[in-house]
Amino acid sequence: MVEKTFDYTGLKCPMPVLKTKKELKNLSSGQVIEVISDDVGAKKDIPALLNKIGDELVELREDNGNLIFIIKKA
Amino acid sequence: MAETETINFIVKDKSFEKFAMMAILGSTGDAMDMKMNFFFTFWGLNLLTRKFKPKVAGMPTPMKGMGAKIFRKRMKKFGIEDPWALIKDGVESGNLKLFPCQMTMDLMGIKHENILDFAEDPVGAASFLEMSNGGRIVSL
Repeated sequence: MVEKTFDYTGLKCPMPVLKTKKELKNLSSGQVIEVISDDVGAKKDIPALLNKIGDELVELREDNGNLIFIIKKA
Repeated sequence: MAETETINFIVKDKSFEKFAMMAILGSTGDAMDMKMNFFFTFWGLNLLTRKFKPKVAGMPTPMKGMGAKIFRKRMKKFGIEDPWALIKDGVESGNLKLFPCQMTMDLMGIKHENILDFAEDPVGAASFLEMSNGGRIVSL
């Protein structure tokens, strides 16, 4: 289901958002990616980005201090 | 998806802090498909001139220049290689527009050739208010 994983650990605001958007632009509708971030702010920021651009947050889970976002391109 | 919104910023200060805010808000707005206009007036216009290096306003005077270097270095570790590169991406995608204030240029003797080439042509107060009409204006 998940086609690609992007590891953005170490990056802070606004880079996880900017990089996620850049990757989403290259996807076709229905494709799913996984984004990993350890930026605490990304927990609210990535959903805010997706809310704005219309792509879907399928799942958000935490694993060992990392946030894992599963995102589906609209 | 929400309609495209425009946020209009007045940048009136030349500090590193304002420069970083502009780069971060501008690039994030671009990522969120929002349109953003930045109007650079008074000291803020310095940020749009070639070779200008903003200093940290919130540090004691002898630290201001060094402070900016330290902040830049730390921001690099966060993945922000060059704040101007983020801004340029937004300008190239068409979502960000940077407007020099014509009156400030005349007042301070700043020539057009000293303005960064990815800025728009200089405009005056009426043009900025017209493009902001009905939208939000934020002063940095």
